[in-house]
Amino acid sequence: MRYGGDNRGRLLIIVLVVTTLFLITLDLRGVQVINGLRTGTQTALTPVQKVGSWVVSPFRNFLSDVTHLGRTRNQMEKLKTENDKLRLALQNRQVADAQLKQLKGVLNLAGTAGFKVVNAKVISQGSSTSFTQTITIDAGTTSGIHTNMTVLSGYGLVGVVKYAYTNSALVQLASDPAFRIGARIAGSQQIGILSGQGTRKGVLQLLDNTTRIHTGDALLARGSDNGRPFVPGVPIGEITSVSNSPGAVTQTADVKFYTNFSTLGVVAVVVSGASSDPRDSLVPPKPHPTPIPTVTIYATPGAISPSPTATK
Amino acid sequence: MSIRSFLLSSPIFLGVFLFQEAFVTQMRLPAGGINLLLVIALIWSALSTPEIGALTGFGAGIGMDLSQTSPGPMGHWTLVLIIACYAVAFLGYGDDNIRGNPINIVLLTTIGVVASQTVFLVLGLMLGQQIGSIGNIIFLLAGSAFWTAIISPLLLKVVSYLHANIFGSRAQL
Repeated sequence: MRYGGDNRGRLLIIVLVVTTLFLITLDLRGVQVINGLRTGTQTALTPVQKVGSWVVSPFRNFLSDVTHLGRTRNQMEKLKTENDKLRLALQNRQVADAQLKQLKGVLNLAGTAGFKVVNAKVISQGSSTSFTQTITIDAGTTSGIHTNMTVLSGYGLVGVVKYAYTNSALVQLASDPAFRIGARIAGSQQIGILSGQGTRKGVLQLLDNTTRIHTGDALLARGSDNGRPFVPGVPIGEITSVSNSPGAVTQTADVKFYTNFSTLGVVAVVVSGASSDPRDSLVPPKPHPTPIPTVTIYATPGAISPSPTATK
Repeated sequence: MSIRSFLLSSPIFLGVFLFQEAFVTQMRLPAGGINLLLVIALIWSALSTPEIGALTGFGAGIGMDLSQTSPGPMGHWTLVLIIACYAVAFLGYGDDNIRGNPINIVLLTTIGVVASQTVFLVLGLMLGQQIGSIGNIIFLLAGSAFWTAIISPLLLKVVSYLHANIFGSRAQL
């Protein structure tokens, strides 16, 4: 028999919906109790998340390898030849090496710019179910981290601290659809607004339509007052394509972020900016192609044995 | 419906919430991954009366709103889940063709997850949130549907067992 509902059931639904609308109204009006609830929950969850991060780490590495099968094939072929014990040790070592590499990268970047940073490990990556892009790091207000601080990786901008808890902080990634940052093109100094799109690509909207931008141009953060939320000069990404519609009021361009957000292990939070603007000094160098040696053989009629000559 | 049954089911959802926040979010599953709390709340509702479905949606929604990754105001997910869980329970209530068939419950849950996320998105737009590119949204919705269709059959047996033990009167799938 189909359910027709009764007065008691209808009353329950009405009470629940009204309670929910009441909660939404309270939160939108900035009532502290609601914020306190979330902060308390996150504070209680942080130790559990740290344990979870430690437990899930081997599975996460496995899933990452499966996802990036093409890129790790050579590495996997090498590992096949080793026994289980060595494989486990190697995996642990790889995790440590990757984190060390990321840490070196981020310290190099921060050192070049003169930023004072606090390093932190990524302990959780937010679910995309709510259409947001966030990570949680294992350092919070006790380490000097507060909201609206810039977060870096070894390659450049990661995002901004959205909420800071006692021992952890929630970082809004640059790929988040709600993320906006003032950016400038290295060299030409054209300025624009970069917005996240939910993927590793962002969209740059230039404020001036008269000048030209080119594929491969590097994009840097313009910076904010007192370095919050963004310190100036942080590399963001590079232009991958430019849209030059004749009738458009502004130029737009697709930008690929330097940072790969799915492989973040160690990040740095800028707690104090540089005394002077680093300008274009943090732009990553262009990769130089490695020359491939070729062998040319000159055949001379009548000669006994041709000798190969190596040229570059 | 008894308050006792509702209270007995609370630790289960609390455990699922902790597991989701501490472990599932760490897995970095491709295509956006899965939200276990959402899936289990919908399965639970599919096995319950509409009133219990709405209460389940309320409890699970509060949990999802307390999650640090929830971008909206407190109550955003709660409102969506009250409606979704009530609707799922209403559709299945008294119809043994739906209630007694695991495939139909999996289908109902999968559609429920996608519908919940779509309603969440629309409500978010109305509340002034940014949603990103349409392509990314479609990709995430498809990913959610995929993961729900994979995970739901595995969870159904356990959820059905727990539900039957707490509410007693219903046949276990």
